[in-house]
Amino acid sequence: MAVSPLIVPGSGERGPHSKSKLSAASSGNGTPSTTLGSNSLKDVAEQMNEEEKDKYVKGKKVGEGTYANVYIGHHKSDPSNLVAIKKIKVQQEYKEGMAPDAIRELKHLQELSHPNIISLLSVFSSKDQNLNLVLEYLPLGDLEVLIKDIENIHYGAADIKAWMGMLSRAIWFCHENFVLHRDIKPNNLLIAADGEIKLADFGLARSFADPYRVMTSNVITRWYRPPELLFGAKHYSGAVDIWSVGLVFAELVIRNPYLPGDTEIDQIAKICAGIGTPTEENWAGVSKLPEYTVPSPTTPVHGPEHYLGMFGTAGPDGVDLLMKMLILDPRRRITAREVLEHRWWRGEPRATRNEDLPKKGPGSGLSRLGATESKRPGMVEGVARRLDFGA
Amino acid sequence: MISNIVPEDARYLSSTQYRLWSFTPADLQALRTTTNQFAADRVREAVRRAREARALSSADVSDADPESKSRGASALPEGEVDCLTVEEELKLITYFCRQTLQLGDHLNLPTDATAVQYIKRFYTTNSLMTYAPDTILRTALFFATKTENHYFRLSKFAEAIANTKPEDVLASEFLLTQGLRFTFDVRHPFRALEGAVMEMGAMAQGAVPYNESAGSQPQDMSRRVKIAHGVARDRLKTSALLTDVYFHFTPSQIMMASLLLADEELIHWYIASKFGTEDPMAQKILIVLSDCAGMLQTIEPVAAGPTTERKAISALAKKLKKCRNPEKIDLVALQKVKREGDGVEDEKVIKKRKMEREKVAREADELFGPGLTTG
Repeated sequence: MAVSPLIVPGSGERGPHSKSKLSAASSGNGTPSTTLGSNSLKDVAEQMNEEEKDKYVKGKKVGEGTYANVYIGHHKSDPSNLVAIKKIKVQQEYKEGMAPDAIRELKHLQELSHPNIISLLSVFSSKDQNLNLVLEYLPLGDLEVLIKDIENIHYGAADIKAWMGMLSRAIWFCHENFVLHRDIKPNNLLIAADGEIKLADFGLARSFADPYRVMTSNVITRWYRPPELLFGAKHYSGAVDIWSVGLVFAELVIRNPYLPGDTEIDQIAKICAGIGTPTEENWAGVSKLPEYTVPSPTTPVHGPEHYLGMFGTAGPDGVDLLMKMLILDPRRRITAREVLEHRWWRGEPRATRNEDLPKKGPGSGLSRLGATESKRPGMVEGVARRLDFGA
Repeated sequence: MISNIVPEDARYLSSTQYRLWSFTPADLQALRTTTNQFAADRVREAVRRAREARALSSADVSDADPESKSRGASALPEGEVDCLTVEEELKLITYFCRQTLQLGDHLNLPTDATAVQYIKRFYTTNSLMTYAPDTILRTALFFATKTENHYFRLSKFAEAIANTKPEDVLASEFLLTQGLRFTFDVRHPFRALEGAVMEMGAMAQGAVPYNESAGSQPQDMSRRVKIAHGVARDRLKTSALLTDVYFHFTPSQIMMASLLLADEELIHWYIASKFGTEDPMAQKILIVLSDCAGMLQTIEPVAAGPTTERKAISALAKKLKKCRNPEKIDLVALQKVKREGDGVEDEKVIKKRKMEREKVAREADELFGPGLTTG
């Protein structure tokens, strides 16, 4: 807001006086200390916002999408310390106020602090009331880029183990904090300068529901969506994310999406063919799910030999873990905690160290960061990003 | 890898509820005092500005637009502005938080507990004199339905509340989120209560082993656990939300304190069953719990405020009306300016809104704030 030209005499003296008061008020338990800016006409809340905003310098735009634009920026105090600033657009066509994706992303990233989850460093608003999320700078693209670049990027079982380890720790941490991510896929797995994998895009995330509360089944990009959601389940758990993790694992190995369905019907058909048909025998109760329908004839659930033939690169232990992530019945599917306890991690080959992981050049990574952070892949893939809040 | 698993306490310490929204009582008091004094200064400045502007325009006889003269002038208090004190603001905030709970009840929204915490957090850095509580409470209640995944259509929400339009609810949404410092997660003690009650229930059945030095179980434990559950839950839905306990204690402490108030003997035994009777930790815990219980007892666990306070609240409401910041009354118009980024406003829109506002104000004079609890 503009400073009024009618500042009354005496208001200037209030500045330093109030400054000490406000500083005294900031507590020692982690509340950032607040000093008053020059404008004593602003609310305390507005001053705190200004102070956050003043810590960063916004640079050039590196990505543009319908949901947000991404800029490169840096700390004002240290220009070599880069950040990504995701400016969320006011969505004129969304008439219900602040949009669900922005709320979800803010709510969960504010709480989750983990080396394999993208860090939200700060949030501030600019004067046009656009939200700016200051995120850690992740210049090396995402896992989808690496998977697709078969020409230039070569990787093996040890690299896959390293990436899967980081993804598994991220999703374990989400579930441990009662958060479902609900959109795990290779292009939401960003890569930091040091090779660390970071789970990003919490625009579909939500906290675990209380018992009996329903959730929407219209989440997770189709290719990574588990059968219970395709069948319209309204009560589900972290198992939905584990299924997606399993498909990322499979895709890392074969360097192609394992179950690329064209429609929801086709997705179910691909699951039946690629894994096995969900039936009452392998999943008690499945036929009672609201949208349960499977093509006939049914396919029996594939055994290890099928997976070893296709995913043998991961070794027998890796294949065992993959099969447990892709168990049709969500109640029997491996949990995030059990994933971390699996023997695959301890066996040979050891996971590659971050500095030795295959990487894309930083040049091509930049544009990728922008695209990933701002585009709304869910729309393309058929996930309703603007799902209702009853989700 | 498993050794990296962070204990629950450490995880709470990384929550925004702890990092940004926990204070010592002295710090909280200091913050509220600063906020109040700032707002009071700004009200006086704004009133002075408005008076000067009025004097200027009435001196200008060539001014042919009578509308510009009267605009805003009607809201101007006469004489020296008598501002609310911190204590007076707090009393009113409690009153409006109760209104929020009643409105939440009326609309059957399980998210009113979160909304109340939003309101309490918002008013640590904003004053009632700047932003009207009856407006903020609607916005907080609506916004909580979004953050808690309890979808409620804005148009239906507005319809269900008297004299409310969707734009009124949205006009202060951004202000609210800024006041919340863009942190929307509130950790409540409700799930913790269910957990403790289940465990005590299992203990009463003999299904859970416990520290034998605690002595024999309290008489008739199963029944007492059930009763304590209900009493504690009522306390969590009222006193815990309306007092400052969320700012000073963890959800589990608040939960245990509410149980302590419900059945002291039962909870003493429960704590001893965990630590034995000799462990100094048990004593430490009890000291914190009784601090928290003391704070909970300052507000009775009933939905409606005490009738004895009605007069005082009514007087405070009148006082607030006279010290409102005249520049922050029409939030819908302010929001329009901010969003559209220029100061050029459509005179007709302003006039229309002003008339609507005055109509609402006339209708709302019984206590104040249009009848929130009647749809």
